[in-house]
Amino acid sequence: MKENVILSFEDLDVRFTLRGQVLNAIRGISLDVYRGESLAIVGESGSGKSVLTRSAMGLLDANGSIAGGHIWYDGRDLAAFRTEKEWLAVRGREIAMVMQDPMTSLNPLKTVGAQILEAVRLHQGLRGAAARAAAVQALADVGISDPETRYKQYPHEFSGGMRQRVVIAIAIACRPKILICDEPTTALDVTIQAQILDLVRSLQKKLGLTTVYITHDLGVVANVADRIAVMYAGDIVEVGSCDEVFYDPRHPYTWALLSSLPQLGAKGETLYSIQGTPPNLFHEVRGDAFAPRNPQALKIDFLKRPPYFDVSPTHRARTWLLDPRAPRVEPPEHIRRLRERGGGGYV
Amino acid sequence: MLKYILKRVLRACVTLFIIITILFALLRLMPIEGYFDSFDKVSSTEIQVKLNSLGLNDPLPKQLARFYGQLLNGDLGTSNIYRRGVSINTIVAEKIPISVKFGLVSFALSLVMGLALGIWMAHSTRTRFKIGDRLGTVLIVVVQAVPSAVYHIVIQFLGSQYAGIPMLFSENEPISYILPVLSLSIGNTAYYAMWLRRYMVDEANKDYVLLARAKGVPGGAISRRHIFRNAMVPLVQYIPGSVLSTLMGSLYVESLYSIPGMGGLLVTAIKRQDNTLVQALVLIYAVVSILGLLFGDILMAVVDPRISLSKKEGAR
Repeated sequence: MKENVILSFEDLDVRFTLRGQVLNAIRGISLDVYRGESLAIVGESGSGKSVLTRSAMGLLDANGSIAGGHIWYDGRDLAAFRTEKEWLAVRGREIAMVMQDPMTSLNPLKTVGAQILEAVRLHQGLRGAAARAAAVQALADVGISDPETRYKQYPHEFSGGMRQRVVIAIAIACRPKILICDEPTTALDVTIQAQILDLVRSLQKKLGLTTVYITHDLGVVANVADRIAVMYAGDIVEVGSCDEVFYDPRHPYTWALLSSLPQLGAKGETLYSIQGTPPNLFHEVRGDAFAPRNPQALKIDFLKRPPYFDVSPTHRARTWLLDPRAPRVEPPEHIRRLRERGGGGYV
Repeated sequence: MLKYILKRVLRACVTLFIIITILFALLRLMPIEGYFDSFDKVSSTEIQVKLNSLGLNDPLPKQLARFYGQLLNGDLGTSNIYRRGVSINTIVAEKIPISVKFGLVSFALSLVMGLALGIWMAHSTRTRFKIGDRLGTVLIVVVQAVPSAVYHIVIQFLGSQYAGIPMLFSENEPISYILPVLSLSIGNTAYYAMWLRRYMVDEANKDYVLLARAKGVPGGAISRRHIFRNAMVPLVQYIPGSVLSTLMGSLYVESLYSIPGMGGLLVTAIKRQDNTLVQALVLIYAVVSILGLLFGDILMAVVDPRISLSKKEGAR
């Protein structure tokens, strides 16, 4: 494993058994997460974003399992973990998570202090007054004023944004190396979203965290991500730096995704939307999973799954369009305009 | 919190007052035979003398005021037929301790067995074949579906035939307590198991459990600290009621094992038209039910921080 890679997915397959049928939620994903970076995984609902990150914490639902491949972390293969005991050494301690809905992710019957204290005791090895002080400090660190009073309060006494701060306080009280933010702002007010993203970013800098954002909101991505991985139907179709993916996207799905951003459309024009529905992952996907929804799909897209083609050392995409033999297919107009803007100013 | 409790207590007092008044009004409608043990043999003058001495010929408001006054002094009146001339306080004081003793022991037993079964079932839903859950469900369905008289008799039959336990209760034989306690506890056991399992399964699927797992809390601690505790909240509301209702005894089990408890008293009193005894017993039952609900509400507020502080009530 490369020196600066902290977490590495290698040919990962994740399957779920549902009513006797097998669903291939993750289909052979390879992805490196670099130490200290901020990676955003984007994709529509059901594309496997959350499953991918949960597989690295042993938090798949009971009917899901890793069917193949490896997840390398610190020289260990997390995909080979079988017992809860092995996972307890990773959960929280190495990788922590902030979930989507702060209204439901805190125990309503315990004070927020008690819930932070649980993490402090487990991962900072503190007891008694020292543990309490650390928990109060965690509240202060996430920008909650009067942490001493707030420590003794219950979740229902907090607003949505404040609860998400508490969830973040719990996560950082674990002292993790990697922080997974699973749609951290989706359930929040637009005005609060920016505050939460700023908070995570400042904590990342302060604590030297690696952050992985899961989101379908490209606006969030543009604000926080160093790199972007675009997921479709259980696969990463394109990955690259933020600029590369936004200004020089190569996969037709990325084109479609960016074209459907309201910010890119012109006033008065109908907003672009992707035709069709994602493939049924209960069946085996042949060729490029996006081909049936792609009006410009090539013949080979329906037959053979494309490999990754490197666009630059940091940018690669899984599409036959990048094959030297492929015909020249122009991206839609919105995307061409983006290229011209290139580098200057975000979406 | 204090305001919440005061409000509930006040509401309970008002309810009780209304019940007492209605009860009084209803009993004035009962035939006066209910105040004589051999109505046919007494002359009409004797009847009038008796009614006068009981104050039943006084104007109604005066009777009502006297009734309230007696109750406030803790006097439930005197039995006229069931045990003539004996104070109802005495009758009840003899019977209540027996019923309460059986009731409390079987309540404790059903709580322990029911919660243990519920926890086992909830855990077993996460295993492959769900054996515990299936077995528990069979037990619960049988107990709920079969009329209780049937399984009470089965227990009595099996216990006395094969385990050699005496068929009837006798005060000096501790072994004879076993079967009635078992019979009394089985219904509640199924009840607690069913609801605890259901609430625990509900809680286990909530987001905060996932977050607790994500922060690295071991499974056992999550079950104890988060899932079990939260699943108990809706159940504790019924516990005071269950404890208090042991005062009333069990009609069927007590007669099956000839236990001289409270169980059959009301039925006997009604059958023999002992007006004052009926009145006193209905009153006791009403007080027990109201207090059960009141304490349930208070206990609920103690364990659930969201209740006492929320401004709107009745959201449950």
